Amino acid sequence: MNVFDLLMLGFSEALTPTNLGFCLLGALLGTLIGVLPGIGPTATIAVLLPITFFLPPLAGIIMLAGIYYGAQYGGSTTAVLVNLPGEASAVVTTLDGYQMAQQGRAGAALAVAALGSFFAGTVATFAIAIAGPMLSRFALSFGPAEYVSLMVFGLLAATILASGPVLKAIGMILIGLLLGMVGTDAETGSERLTMGALELFDGIDFIVIAIGVFGFAEIITNLERSGSEGVKLAPLTRLWPTRDDFRRSWKAVLRGTGVGTFLGLLPGGGATLASFSAYSLEKKVSKTPRAFGTGVVEGVAAPEAANNAAAQSSFIPLLTLGIPSNNMMAMMLSAFMIHGITPGPTVLTTQPEIFWGLVASMWIGNALLVVINLPMIGLWVKLLTVPYRLLYPAILLFCCIGVYSMNNRIFDVMLAAGFGLLGYAFRKAKCEPGPLLLGFVLGPLLEANLRRTLLIEQGDPAIFVERPISLVMLLATVVLLALMILPSFRKTREEAFQEEES
Amino acid sequence: MAARKGDQPDILSAAIFIGFGVLALFLGRELPAGSLSQMGPGYLPRAVGTLLIVLGLAVGLPALRRPFAGIERISPRPVLVITISVIVFAYAATHLGFVLASLLLIVLGSLADPGGRWRTVGLLAVGLTIFGALVFVYGLGVQVPLWPAFLTEGT
Repeated sequence: MNVFDLLMLGFSEALTPTNLGFCLLGALLGTLIGVLPGIGPTATIAVLLPITFFLPPLAGIIMLAGIYYGAQYGGSTTAVLVNLPGEASAVVTTLDGYQMAQQGRAGAALAVAALGSFFAGTVATFAIAIAGPMLSRFALSFGPAEYVSLMVFGLLAATILASGPVLKAIGMILIGLLLGMVGTDAETGSERLTMGALELFDGIDFIVIAIGVFGFAEIITNLERSGSEGVKLAPLTRLWPTRDDFRRSWKAVLRGTGVGTFLGLLPGGGATLASFSAYSLEKKVSKTPRAFGTGVVEGVAAPEAANNAAAQSSFIPLLTLGIPSNNMMAMMLSAFMIHGITPGPTVLTTQPEIFWGLVASMWIGNALLVVINLPMIGLWVKLLTVPYRLLYPAILLFCCIGVYSMNNRIFDVMLAAGFGLLGYAFRKAKCEPGPLLLGFVLGPLLEANLRRTLLIEQGDPAIFVERPISLVMLLATVVLLALMILPSFRKTREEAFQEEES
Repeated sequence: MAARKGDQPDILSAAIFIGFGVLALFLGRELPAGSLSQMGPGYLPRAVGTLLIVLGLAVGLPALRRPFAGIERISPRPVLVITISVIVFAYAATHLGFVLASLLLIVLGSLADPGGRWRTVGLLAVGLTIFGALVFVYGLGVQVPLWPAFLTEGT
């Protein structure tokens, strides 16, 4: 079958009433949480993960994906109208978007953001459709040694490209690896690190960690920082951008899409990194860089296109190699695993309807999102006035039901509460918990492949440098680490993230 | 307190790293390590635990000498209230059924925010419990009893 036939298969899957319904639900939920500050896509997906167990596999995955890219649309709304980024990836949009709103051009900013996102989403969907089969064919030739090197590269690159100090991020990965080892050892059957707790013999559930660290801990930290009530809305005016807006933004959208699609592919990349990079690129190529920050339309178009493109292209490494590149994708990986599907090169051949159905649903979801966001903007803006104290009890309840419903065990909920406290400590220690999830999901895979490789090679680690693909990955890892030590690179990286934090 | 030193968040991270490393070494002390060609269940836990301790030292020691940086203020109220109400939910769901567990969770959890009013909290608790029962228990088929066992056993 060629790509066209496969895409047709995908659309026929994605357009079934159930899947279409869950695509719409995901897009709506994504917009909702994108608009609401204080709850992001990571926490939402953690909360909804256990629920997808009760849904058909494709429907659940379509919904979760919709939440991720839907949040990119919703995040821009608050960024433009109230100068509050609903999502981390919309932080740069506030710079020019809010200024445009102050000048009475909020409608134009929102329309450019939504249309730019739609264009970027379309391009990224095609990128997945084209790159997916190619990469997975390549990945089929991977042996265990290649997988070990790929995972080492993925884990380390993720820490370097993500924000925060690298050493701490590596520490978080290691803790994740340790947590992943709890339970019964797959090869010898002996139980380890369980403290004798019977409930831990099957290992710690991903959902318990995700809900604890991202659900409970986030509620606690948000409650500490209360006082975000009473937002001031910029007036909303006519929606359609002027001819001049279009003329100036189409190139920015193109560049943003390119940057986003590429950065989404990299380990540790994703929507946030993409939007920042696209903004600074726009500033560099512009003839009037000083105008940025005063309400130029390019400053909205480029990052919004980039974050949406990256949100989607970050699915590529997961779907083709089975390697999640950021914590969102780690969540998606476990959504697949709940249904007994291990993402990777074989899924494309054995269950093409899953891959192509998801790809097709992304395009449909993007089209739905333009409709959800533009004409219905007034409704979402009203939601902004809902205070957090009415929201968090609902989030708390969903978290609790989610954890409890997995095994109907008190133990799981207690453990999640414990991880909530741990996640709170991480936040106080200024440790970004994302890499922990990556380490946790990749840990068992890494260990199994490492042991298999060394068993075949009778303990000789030379294989990792003898196989060319493996060697390239390891060299790339070394280069990245070396770059971190170089002072000049370190400085630019720190500056880039300083902007992000302020 | 004149001229205190130390980057507190980094020292805390170092403590967490070393704590996890020591815990791994301690819990894995009896697991056979095996050799490179035949890795036992204890090989990697030990390796990762050791790495964590080394990393903890690498993060913590320089932090001791850096100028003072405090940890963000910790307010005990949300930490305690949220944790306790979650644990109460776990026990209540098993022994008292979903309806009471959910009401308890929301009423207790609302204490985390001092600004709440009892009327809104009550309405919120009832509304969310009905929503949760409809969506999760009836809609998605989550296996949890709705009412306490002693109420339903009689019928």
